[in-house]
Amino acid sequence: MELAQQLVNGLTLGSLYALIAVGYTVVYGIIQLINFAHGEIFMVGAFGALSTALLFFRSYVDGGEMLPFWALPVLIVGAVAASVAIAVLMERIAYRPLRNAPRLAPLITAIGISVFLQEAVRLLYGKIPSFPDAKQKVPFPQIEVVSGPAFNLGGVTLQRSTIFTVGALVICAAGLFYFVSRTKTGRAMQAVSQDPDTARLMGINVDRIIVVAFVIGATLAAVAGIAQGLQVTNINFKMGFLAGLKAFTAAVLGGIGNVWGAVIGGLTLGLVEALAVQFIPGTFGGSPWKDVWAFALLILVLVFRPQGLLGAKVVDRA
Amino acid sequence: MSTVTHSPDTTDTELSRLDRLREQHGDRAAILAVAGGALLLVSGLLSWSYDNRILDDVSVRFYPLGIQLYAMLLGIVALALGVLLFRRPQWLNPGRGLRAVGWGSVVFALAGIIAVAYQAGGLINVNEGGWVGLAGAVLVLAGGLLSPHVDLDVRTWPRLPSWAEILVIVVMLGLLLFATAYTLNVDDPATFGCLLITLLAVAIGLVGSGFGEYLGFIGQNNRRPLLLAAFLVAFLFPFTQDGSDANMSIATQILIFAATALGLNIVVGLAGLLDLGYIAFLGTGAYVGAMLSKSAFATIGWNPPFLVVMLLGMLVASIFGLIIGSPTLRVSGDYLAIVTLGFGEIFRLAMFNLDGNNGPDLTNGPNGIPGIPDLNFFGFDFGQTHTVAGIPLGRFSNYYFLLLLLIAFVILVFTRLNDSRIGRGWVAIREDERAAEAMGVNVFGLKLLAFAVGASLAGLAGTIKAHQDTSVTPDQYIFLESAFLLAAVVLGGMGTVAGVLVGATVLKLLPEKARIVNDYRLLIFGLLLVVMMRFRPEGLVASKRRQLEFHEDDEELAEIVQSEHLEEAK
Repeated sequence: MELAQQLVNGLTLGSLYALIAVGYTVVYGIIQLINFAHGEIFMVGAFGALSTALLFFRSYVDGGEMLPFWALPVLIVGAVAASVAIAVLMERIAYRPLRNAPRLAPLITAIGISVFLQEAVRLLYGKIPSFPDAKQKVPFPQIEVVSGPAFNLGGVTLQRSTIFTVGALVICAAGLFYFVSRTKTGRAMQAVSQDPDTARLMGINVDRIIVVAFVIGATLAAVAGIAQGLQVTNINFKMGFLAGLKAFTAAVLGGIGNVWGAVIGGLTLGLVEALAVQFIPGTFGGSPWKDVWAFALLILVLVFRPQGLLGAKVVDRA
Repeated sequence: MSTVTHSPDTTDTELSRLDRLREQHGDRAAILAVAGGALLLVSGLLSWSYDNRILDDVSVRFYPLGIQLYAMLLGIVALALGVLLFRRPQWLNPGRGLRAVGWGSVVFALAGIIAVAYQAGGLINVNEGGWVGLAGAVLVLAGGLLSPHVDLDVRTWPRLPSWAEILVIVVMLGLLLFATAYTLNVDDPATFGCLLITLLAVAIGLVGSGFGEYLGFIGQNNRRPLLLAAFLVAFLFPFTQDGSDANMSIATQILIFAATALGLNIVVGLAGLLDLGYIAFLGTGAYVGAMLSKSAFATIGWNPPFLVVMLLGMLVASIFGLIIGSPTLRVSGDYLAIVTLGFGEIFRLAMFNLDGNNGPDLTNGPNGIPGIPDLNFFGFDFGQTHTVAGIPLGRFSNYYFLLLLLIAFVILVFTRLNDSRIGRGWVAIREDERAAEAMGVNVFGLKLLAFAVGASLAGLAGTIKAHQDTSVTPDQYIFLESAFLLAAVVLGGMGTVAGVLVGATVLKLLPEKARIVNDYRLLIFGLLLVVMMRFRPEGLVASKRRQLEFHEDDEELAEIVQSEHLEEAK
């Protein structure tokens, strides 16, 4: 039973990582940029959902009630809008001028953006009239159906937020599959990731495709932000750093640049973490060390199989 | 799309309008600048505020204080540049300097006026001095904008006898010491802000007009006297503090930060390997120092002499450096950055966890190791105040002298390595790894060496830091600190010593002195990184060669770099 419980926990965690990891991988696949600020896009998504709830469902939030189920799509739209807006602005203002700069420059820019977005939320969110101060944890609104009492399946606790997270991953992955393989823009994206110069000659607007990649990543990250809010029931300005780092680990684990790799990598990482908590014996087991094991896994993968589980050989690219 | 195609045209016409103005009124630029400078000078003698409690009292006429003095300084610089504009020397571009001083003066005058108006509750409290100053500033700016463009001819730099050149260096450094000591003692935040604007305007003005390059040229000719004089000035700094420890505490922090950043500069600036977990090496040194100290909480009951501790700190840190550097054989670029980031996090988490409950008790977990005693070298107690030549030197001054030695050592290692075969190998790896390998450069060995040397310098700094801070906790070694170190390197200029010193000073000093911005410092820091990468990726003080790497299509720069190389080869 314990194993089954840890598998469920790992799957939940892994789905969350996978949703964020897709954002790293699509952007990397196209412009070989580690968008270090992607974790912050995830955080902005969570705050976008919170803001939407405060704007449109204020009476529920103040009364401490659960939001009706039909609020969920509204919250998702709000979260996605916030994330996408920030991601597109970021691409336009900070990354695009550095397209041909040495590789160090965009990475440092990304660190700058990451710090900037965290601080902007910490300092300025509470300054918006009637919004709570974001210097500490902020409670995240709960929604009927997707939050509430957990199910018990033969001794295994199954949280409702788990079902939401895994379901969101399945839906997003299916949508992404359809988009990438069936639509014109999706196929253009594949073309650009294989050879940007030739793609340009074939009449593909590369700049637009890059924006699309950022939009896709931001959309999935926003959904992940809501999932995290429902799971933990609160959000804070720092939540993007560790989650982003883990998701990047997941993307690398699966093979960066490969969308399915990100999904597989996310799930693998989540399972490894959950199982490490349970099954590593002695004093080095348990939850204090789980992040250490995750990073150790990252380093081992990068050293021994930099192309990841599914990735093509990208050693020279990195 | 239409706006995009039209915008260059409009800027063209604007440019030509300014050019036309320049052609018509170019000869009046100098007159305008001199008049503006004179007005600024006079404004310092006038009253800026009706209320004498504001900005440390700037209400008295003919007795300049605070921002009145700064206005006079700006006036003098503008006057000097204006007079130079009459002479039209070939090796100076006073116009560009005037533009910088002009913009700076306008911002300064406006800041002064706003500060008075804001604190006293209305523009009515601004006295004539402020308005005269603003008028002067606008005139200087106009003079700067109108002054003709000059193509600098560096071959006409006046050559002075070498004793005079050394004198120039010593005087400049002396001025620097005076300015630093003065700046640190300004406590009123608004005055401090105005002072910073002034100093920045003067500095940019001097560099823009070509003095900076000239000074650099002199410095190049007299490297050793320059270094000696710089250390002498740094050595004299505690004597300007009258035994007060407040500024010395900041100064010691800056030195530790700068020493670590210089170590990082070997890895990032010279070898071009991005390390995002560098703070872990400082932490390694600090924990080694703490665990081997006589603290009651030290977990290892062995107290070797501090020299041994320093060596051990270096050794352990460099072993970690080798471990983290070993993946460099297989991964490079962005991946390496993430490996180092992961390593940094592992270090912090491990220090946080090793408290006896999770793993062996080495670090006391989140509480860290407090109560580390002060250093004691052959009876010289670092915790005591010593009086030298009538000036008391407190605890932080003692550490300051030790850290000064440390930083001298670090700079020595850095410059010797940079000038050696190893340094050239690093540059080759940084610019093109495959070409370097083909030329017979031992890529793997040199990369490992960069990691090991950089880490050992940070470890050394860490052992001293443990004693100076008296406690070591894991939360001092978070990712943000690594980002700060990297920012110091990037901001100052990758691969240069002076740049990193400037970067470290700016990053540590600003939040300490300008408390208003303290809450917003990280926000500004983030923005600064983005803006720097966008507009000046090579940093504030960049070596020409490095600049060329970031601006590959700049033909003019390429020629300058080539001629410099030829000069060196002779």
